[in-house]
Amino acid sequence: MSTQGKVTIHQLPTGVPGLDEIVGGGLPEFSFNIIAGAPGSGKTTLAHQFVFANATPERPALYFTVLGESAIKMLRYQQQYTFFDPAKLPDSIRFINLSQVVLEQDLGAVLEEITREVEKANPAVVVVDSFRTMVRKPQSDMDLQSFIQRLALFLASWQATTFLIGEYAEDELRDNPIFTVADGLFWLCQTAERNSVVRKLQIIKLRGQDSVPGLHTFRITDAGVQAFSRTFGLSGQRKHLPNEKRLSFGVPELDKMLDGGVREGDSVLIAGSSGTGKSVLATQFISEGIRQGEPGIVAVFEERPQAYAERAASLGLDLETPQKEGKLEILYLRPLDLSVDETMHSILDAVQKIGAKRLVIDSLAGFEMALSPGFRADFRESLYRMIFALTGIGVTILSTVEVDESFTEFPFSTYSISFLTDDIIRLRYVSIDGQLRKIMVVIKMRGGNHAKDIREYEITSKGVVILGKRLTNYQALISGIPVYSDRSVLKDEFSQDTGTEHKT
Amino acid sequence: MTAPPQTRYLAHRLLTYEAAADKASESVESATLRVYEKLRQSLCALAGVAGFQSLAFRALMQAKSEAPDLWAVEIAADGSLQGLGEIEHQLEEFELQLGSGKQQACERGVILISRLLGLLLVFLGEALTISLLRNVWPGASFDDRNSESGRKA
Repeated sequence: MSTQGKVTIHQLPTGVPGLDEIVGGGLPEFSFNIIAGAPGSGKTTLAHQFVFANATPERPALYFTVLGESAIKMLRYQQQYTFFDPAKLPDSIRFINLSQVVLEQDLGAVLEEITREVEKANPAVVVVDSFRTMVRKPQSDMDLQSFIQRLALFLASWQATTFLIGEYAEDELRDNPIFTVADGLFWLCQTAERNSVVRKLQIIKLRGQDSVPGLHTFRITDAGVQAFSRTFGLSGQRKHLPNEKRLSFGVPELDKMLDGGVREGDSVLIAGSSGTGKSVLATQFISEGIRQGEPGIVAVFEERPQAYAERAASLGLDLETPQKEGKLEILYLRPLDLSVDETMHSILDAVQKIGAKRLVIDSLAGFEMALSPGFRADFRESLYRMIFALTGIGVTILSTVEVDESFTEFPFSTYSISFLTDDIIRLRYVSIDGQLRKIMVVIKMRGGNHAKDIREYEITSKGVVILGKRLTNYQALISGIPVYSDRSVLKDEFSQDTGTEHKT
Repeated sequence: MTAPPQTRYLAHRLLTYEAAADKASESVESATLRVYEKLRQSLCALAGVAGFQSLAFRALMQAKSEAPDLWAVEIAADGSLQGLGEIEHQLEEFELQLGSGKQQACERGVILISRLLGLLLVFLGEALTISLLRNVWPGASFDDRNSESGRKA
């Protein structure tokens, strides 16, 4: 069937950063919406943001306050948010208190009062905050459902986009006939998990819109509500097509082991125990990228950006200048109560800001610790979403992970996330000739060739330096306790072996 | 303790503006009562009758501590002011006898209105308060004299 002649539903900006993406582009014009949630969950703030984003003197917003929070106190607090523009009052936004009508009369009178004000002002937006407090009298002439039904019909014909705000617990939302009339149902909640508070929102329904399902985290800041979509706002973005471009580590011998470098858009994992040089290698990777004109981002969780840059400087790597030139961002993400979505938002902002091609996450353990406890249980799933989203837009991700050194095992990571990564480089200690030395091996390189050599390396004042050729005179190197084995008799044979692993 | 100069100035401006309009309309009510009534209408719509009444009651209590001869003035349940007209009339009579004009009566109005405006400034801030006043008195000008922020109000 042709789409010609079908009605176009215009979308209005929600005024809430991140929410437009979640609701499928914007809020449908003339929709009748309910924002439900417990007290303090951010309902009023969200409604205010919508009002301030859409009200004009020609088509103002009417904000009806009923019982509950005093209108004056509400304005006192709400004006602290940056979106609150006092100049919009009262021409564009009018606050009308209905408490007297509610206290002295019934819902029919409330509807009459709203009708009168709407007819007078011809508003584009109407908010009733909070409609649940209207139900005071059991013998009310008109029950709440009937009131909402009539209000919805009336406001739709007046071409007003409407929000009703109500205090509801989650279990009250199910099978509640009041909500059947609504075009949109927004559920806000906040839960305490251990010592952290996590705020989440869900679009339970939104007629005529392809909203993003599921629970999305949000935060209330000086700028009001900020939502973080589960799809990280990338659902509409063009996916990056894989190519054969190789990204150098700035460590020539390692590049050779990787058959020329890391494939652009790959997710690389550097695993090793403490002090093996994971962060050094990561810094060299980001620094080499900047040298080659590929802006980068380093997300640090365990130390502050200044300390990170100073450590890089001790290796002769200048991270200060590229930061000043807008080629590098070192993100220090506030620990302990983050959601992955929020972290991702910060990273994506930085990616878009500087056009980053490389991203270092140093480290996954620090990242996990920075998350609110409730999100740690889903860390692997969240990491999957994040890596998929970022590599999808062509960003090459290098993550470091600390693994417990074992002399009987050779683990790649403590998170069982090796399937999430395209390439794995393993660093470890070995005991050789009475010294604790370091070896490096490329475990995996998806879709590409890589060396199967085990190479010794050192961390010098110039960073990671791979020494000599592969260690041929030792057996069981990856056990950490190798056995010396004089293989010089097979020297010729080894010299002919290129040591290259084929595509895996 | 008297009201801050900023609120006294604002109250004085409103009363002067309303007094000028008073002459044109030949209203029998005093400028103070007219200013108060307009504020009541506007604030009741914004904050509800109960919300306005509690603000007005607080403002009156503060005003009485500054001008004890307002002792007989009361706030009715609908937020309206009762008893001010009589007191103003008595003061005017007294001042007429002394031949000193209406200064005392005007001063009581400034005190009461400035206390009410003071509460609005405390709760809503300067920008919203001025915005609200502009809506009630679209013809009046509210310049930035004594403005806390220093910007044009």
